[in-house]
Parts: sequence; structure tokens; C-alpha cells
Amino acid sequence: MKSRLASAWRSFWIATWLGWQIESNWTDPVLFAIYSIIKPLASAAILVVMYGVITGGRFREPIFPYIYLGNAFYIYVGSVMIGISWAVIDDREHYRTLKYIYVAPIFIPFYWLGRGVARFLTGSFAVFITLAAGMLFLHLPLNLAQANWPLFLLSLILGIVVLAFMGLILANVSLLVAHHFFLIGEAVAGALFLFSGAVFPLEVLPSWLRPLGFIMPITYWLELLRRALLPSGVKAFPTFASLSNEELLGIMLGLSVFFGFIAFASFKLCDFLARERGLIDRTTNY
Amino acid sequence: MSREWAIKTENLWRIYTVRGKRRQPKKEVIALRDVNLEIAKGELFGLLGPNGAGKTTLIKILATLLAPSSGRAWVAGFDVVRESHKIRPIINMVSGGEASGYGLLTVRENLWMFAQFYGISTSEANRRIEELLHRVGLTEWMHTKTSQLSTGMRQKMNVVRGFLTDPEILFLDEPTLGLDVNAARQIRQFIREWLEEHPGRTILLTTHYMQEAEELCDRVAIIDQGRIVACDSPASLKQRLRQEALFELEITHPQGLASEVLEAITGVHRALLAETDGGAKLKLALKDESALAEVIRTLTAHSVQVRHLTKKEPTLEDVFVELVGRPFEEVKEDEG
Amino acid sequence: MKAKATGWKLFLKTVIARAYPRIVAQQRERSWIFFDVFLSLLAVSAYVFIYRAIKAPEEYIGFVVLGGAMTAFWLNVLWSMSTQFYWEKETGNLPLYIISPAPKMAILLGMALGGIVGTSLRAATIILVGGILFKVRFSVANGLLLVLVFSLTLVALYGLGMMNASLFLLWGREAWHLASLAQEPIYLLSGFYFPIKSLGFWVAAVASLIPLTLGLDAMRQLLFPSGASLGFLDVRMESAILGVMSIVFIIAARLLLDYMEKIAIREGKLLEIQQ
Repeated sequence: MKSRLASAWRSFWIATWLGWQIESNWTDPVLFAIYSIIKPLASAAILVVMYGVITGGRFREPIFPYIYLGNAFYIYVGSVMIGISWAVIDDREHYRTLKYIYVAPIFIPFYWLGRGVARFLTGSFAVFITLAAGMLFLHLPLNLAQANWPLFLLSLILGIVVLAFMGLILANVSLLVAHHFFLIGEAVAGALFLFSGAVFPLEVLPSWLRPLGFIMPITYWLELLRRALLPSGVKAFPTFASLSNEELLGIMLGLSVFFGFIAFASFKLCDFLARERGLIDRTTNY
Repeated sequence: MSREWAIKTENLWRIYTVRGKRRQPKKEVIALRDVNLEIAKGELFGLLGPNGAGKTTLIKILATLLAPSSGRAWVAGFDVVRESHKIRPIINMVSGGEASGYGLLTVRENLWMFAQFYGISTSEANRRIEELLHRVGLTEWMHTKTSQLSTGMRQKMNVVRGFLTDPEILFLDEPTLGLDVNAARQIRQFIREWLEEHPGRTILLTTHYMQEAEELCDRVAIIDQGRIVACDSPASLKQRLRQEALFELEITHPQGLASEVLEAITGVHRALLAETDGGAKLKLALKDESALAEVIRTLTAHSVQVRHLTKKEPTLEDVFVELVGRPFEEVKEDEG
Repeated sequence: MKAKATGWKLFLKTVIARAYPRIVAQQRERSWIFFDVFLSLLAVSAYVFIYRAIKAPEEYIGFVVLGGAMTAFWLNVLWSMSTQFYWEKETGNLPLYIISPAPKMAILLGMALGGIVGTSLRAATIILVGGILFKVRFSVANGLLLVLVFSLTLVALYGLGMMNASLFLLWGREAWHLASLAQEPIYLLSGFYFPIKSLGFWVAAVASLIPLTLGLDAMRQLLFPSGASLGFLDVRMESAILGVMSIVFIIAARLLLDYMEKIAIREGKLLEIQQ
């Protein structure tokens, strides 16, 4: 048991180091900073302009911080899922090291989780920049003194863990599919945008689609973050009004365990299939 | 430049600037130093040297992938920098250990695709593909996806890709790298036969397998640290060493005896000691054959027994050692 | 023995040959249909519901559907053409392309056309399914002009993509990240989901350098009754500008590809594997 834990830890921290080396050394620090600032702001700006065009710039309405905050933290969804799932394609097709990693005495799922840490860090920077820009230029009513920091930190950690498990599920799937030229993580994150209550309350969805939102852990995660940072703003959107913070946290915890189970179970299955079909060291780029 | 030469280089230099970590100063690496070569039409010309000698750099310059830092080079009479568009239709290149192509396509599809880039009609391409795959023993794999091929088969496919376009000048950069003995032999035989069937075609072959260069090449240039140290036919190169007597001795463990002690004996030009399982191998190049007796006396004085003694014909490896000053294996270790 | 093709025949052969791996691979590995087509429909739907949540006029839903469909072409240009040289360099195919007599533009065009099956399927799905699901009412004012605008937009866009691809001859991961950086700002400045006029005249004017900006604006004017009032410039003027852009970008792409190739060969960057 001890050696398995040691192996898992070793796999994780080595992969974290590697992931950071890969993510951080493609250019000089100035250009890296510019990239890290412009990308999230441009993404937020799309929603801001859409909102501004339709509402005539009424940024003090409660819906605007709902949208803005949800979109800001949704950055984590893309970055963590992409960071983890992309490592499979990158190692298999680009660096051709996946086969060597496989034969090493490491715990592969923890290796992939470690590879996602760098993107989590750059994602954190993007979230911070987006929130700061919102507070400075768009009157985002975030009162840091009144925020529920324990709830925020606990929710953030639980959310990242769930996202990591979801990213791991995608990584497992990536073992079996070809390298199409898009990013699977980005495609899935884009799709989940619809169901997670990130930029509109679930009530906006048709009634037959809403259940999908209620089984998404991201939905509860974003609700908890809004409650922690915008306690007054959340009251205008009663989707989860009947659930207390503790109940929401309990649901998040339960979903974390569920997705964790799926992640490791799917790894076993996809790993077996990939090895049976000889997919570990194939190249599929076209 | 007249077209009697297939390939010609004049005072060719290539210097790379190597970046380390961000705060470290850049380093210059000289890959080619003042290379002057003339390769005639119809020649199979070998470029022999250890890893990092500059062989691939030279091939890349001649294949119009890399510009020289200074000096000039011509392929089929065309300047590699200014007239690359005239060179490309008549050349091709095969590198050892290549991973090119698309894993989801079959062997035939990959080859057909590359043939199209040279303007070859589909019917002609298919005819050539079938013929060439048959000659390298890949016919039954024609419809197999390349991601399912072994390394050797993949390399054979790459070799076929190089010959498929019927180039006037072909660059083979370590084409048998990673192949087993039989596969490598098959490729070498194929190269020989192709040249016999296509007189006037030129091949520039780089290799670090001495035997391959001896077996195939009309002429060989030995390159080391970017510099051409010799250029002649394998026979003429070896002839240089026929003025010396070459011996190979199997001995017991040398017990601290150094090569320099033996080289100090009058008449000994070079002595190379290499430890083996259960003993050692001693290679001698003697200016005077009579020095052999003194060598054996010295060995005996150091309690070293001679188990076996052979008089050898010089090989290209011996030529290399003579010119470079150290064995091929030592050069590889230094680089490692 | 038949003489080898040269000139435009070689160009055509190269386009077909390079499109072939794409077309065949997409048949052999069909997972892209789920990820590229179905999931992107969901992503576009999210923007529809954003507009519903803020009670936008119904034609804005149509704008989102149209913009979402055109996203497919933009992503095809950006990721399956422009950045593909990066992968080709890493896998060792790029040197083989360069030493062949095949024109680079033909290789790029082949890549783009090879992906057009998937791209068109994605775009068509979004238009048809999105149009039906969200009850979008398209009202085609001038079908021929619409086809012309769409075609010119694509030609200019692919020309821009080829110019972008030339960067990958010289750079590797930096160019990759710059392409990634361009993705969202292009969505913003091209007005994928809203009329570009909303950004003000000068911003819209600068944004018009991107072919998609004027292309989308013109298509909105031709497809929606309120499009004309929300349009930036007159449709015919936008078509003319797109026509000029098409020619300029194609010529610029040709020059830039040759220029970047020369620099890359001089600096040894064609062979440099950027890990």
C-alpha cells in the first residue's frame, strides 16, 4: 500500500514538473504574460459585448454578475480538462513518449493528473485576470471583505477535483481515438457550457434538458462559488434556493466520489482496450 | 558550374547557434568546416563518419533543406540556395529511422500520395509501387496501415518512397539504421541493383557502418567533426595502410599495461588495447613487421599471454583510426 | 513512360494527394463526428440560451446559429491548415514536402479541402438542426449574392490561413500558441454572435481586415430581415472588399510562404524539432 502511494505521488509530481516545463518554455515571459492576459479577456469580452448590445450596457442588473462570474470560473473547466486529456495526445503523437511512460513503474492516471496541473495554474491566472478586469472596468460587485472564504476555498478545491476526474475520463477516451486536429477537452468543455448553468440559470433551458444540468457537478460548483463570492446576487436566481450550502457541498462530494470511481474504472477499461488493440504507440495524425 | 558533376561543394561551412536555458549565452556549433567535394554522375558516393560528424547536415544542405553559413553547393549544376526549385524535381531523400507518412493510411496509399507530389500519374505510380515493394519484400503488406508495420518494414517503405520518384540524384541518410542484418542486406542489394539498372543516376549515401560503405561505394569521404579528412575509393584508402602490417592479438588481461608502452617500441606505429570478456584484444599497426617480436616480449614481461594472433587486411575502420587518431567506438563514447 | 506533371497539373495532383489522407482518415476513424459535430452544436446552443436569458430579439438567435456554422470554417483554417505544418514538422513529413516539387500552397489547400467534409458537416448540422430547434427564420434576399459572399469569404479566409501557415515554417510552439491566442479575439472582432456595428465604426473597420467580419456581416444582411439595419457596410461594398481581399491574401500567401521558407532554410528552422 505504501509503495503504491509512493508510486502515485512520484508519478504526480514528476508529471507536474514536466507539464510546467512544457507549458512555460515556449516563449519569453513577457509574451507568455500577454498571452495569459489576452486570451481570457477576449473570451470574457465576447459575452460582455453580447450582453451590452442587447441590454444597452445595464451591467448593474443581477444577471450580469451571474454570467460574468460563471464564465470566469468556467475557465477552469476548459483548462483542467484540456490539460489532462491533451497530455495523452501530446505524449503519444508529438513527443512519442507514451510507450516509455507506460513501461515505467508509475501510476498512469496520476501522471495525467499531474500533467494537468500546469494548465490549472495558467487557468488560475486567467480566472484572476478576468475577475480583476470585471471589478475594475465593469462594476462587478465582488466585495472581497464580505466573501465567504472558507466556502469559496472548499468549493474551489472540490470543483477542481471533480474537473480533474472528468479530465481523466477524457484522457482515457483519448487513448482509443485518433488525433483529430481539434482538442477533445475543448470540445467537451464547450458542450458542457450548455448544461452547467455557467452563463444562464437552468430555468432558461427547455424542461427536458434541465435534468442534465442537475446531474452535472459543475452546476453545483458554480452555484457554491456564486454563493461564496456574491451572496446577495445569487438570491435573484432561485434554482437551488431550497438547498443549503452544506447540502450543495454534500452533493459535490458525492459527485466527486462518483466521477472518481468512473475515472479510474474507465481507465482500467480503456487501458485494457488500448493495449489489446496496440494503440499505445500508434500515430494517427493526418 | 558544368553539369559533369552531379554534386559539388566549395568551401562549405555550416554553423549552428544553439540555445540553452534562457539566461545562458548562446553557443556556436560548427557542423561543417570548409567542405570541398565533387561527386560525378553515376557514382555511389559514401560519406562515412561517426554521429555528429556533419553527414546529415551536408545532406540537408544538398537536399535544399538547409542553407550553408558560407560557401556554395550545386546539385545537378544548380545552386542549392538560389535554384532549389530546379533541384527538387530531380532529387529525393531517405533518412534512417524515419517516422514520416500517415499511420491511418496503408503502405500503398502513403506511397501513392508522395508520388503525386512529384507529378507521377496514378497508373505509373501504382506500377512502380508494386514493383518496388516486391523487390524489398513488402508486397503482402501493401494494404496494411503503416501504424501496424514493424520498424524494419516502415524503413523499407521509406526506402521505396525514395526510389519511387526515379530521381536523378538520391540522398540516403543512414538508410539501414535500425534494420536487422537480413533487412539491411536486402536494402543494400536493392541499391546496387537499382544503380546497375539506372546508369547515370547518382547516390550520396551516409552511414556509420564501415562495412556498408566498403560494400557499396565507388568512393568514400571520411568526415569527422565537420571536416573531410580523406576522400578516395575504399581500396585506395586501405592501400594507404598496406605500407603497415596490421595484426590482431587475443591476449589475457593486460594487468595495467598501457597502449603507450607498446607504442614506444621502435617499429610500432599504433597499438590499441580493448578489454573483452576474459581478456583483451590488441590491434597493432607496425611500420616494421619485425617489431612484433619485441611486442610479444614486452607482453610476456608483463605476464600477459598471447592466445591468438592474426595478420589482418586493413579495413575502412583502420583507415578511420589512422586518420582520426582514435577508434570509432571511442568517438561514439566521447559524444555519449 | 509518361512525363511527370508540372505547372497547374502538378498543383492539382498535389491538392488531391494531400486531401486524400484527410478524407480517408475521417472515414476510418469516425470519432470526430461526435466531438466535432455533435458537441459543437451543444456549444453553439449555449450562446442561444445566453441570448434567451437576457431576452434578446429572436433574430439574434439566428445570428448565433449562423456564426456557429461559420466557426467551423474558421477552426478548419486555423487548426487543420495553418497549424498543420507544425505537426508535419514534428513527424518528419515537412522536409519531404519541401524537397518535392509540389507547391506548398497546393499542400495547404489539400489539407483544407480534405477537412472540408467534416467542416461542412459541422456547419450544415448547426444551420439545419440549430435552425429547426430554435425556430430560426432565414429569409434569403438574394441567393446568388449569398453564394458569392460565402465563396469569397472562404477564399479570403483560406488565403489568410495560408499566410498564417507560413509562420510555422519558421516557428513551432510559439506559432501554435499564437494561433491559440488568435482564436477568441477573432470570435470577438469578427462578430460571430453579434453585429460588428455594435463595436463602433473604427473597431469594426479594423476588424474588417479579417475576412470573416465582412463575410458574416454581409451574410446576416442577406439572410435576416433586420440584417440590413444592423449591417456595417452595404452588402455590395462588402462583397467587393472581400473580392479584393481574396486576391491580395492569396498573392500575399504565396509570397510569404516563399519568403518564410527561405528564412527557415537559412536558419535551419525547417528541421528544428521544437520540443
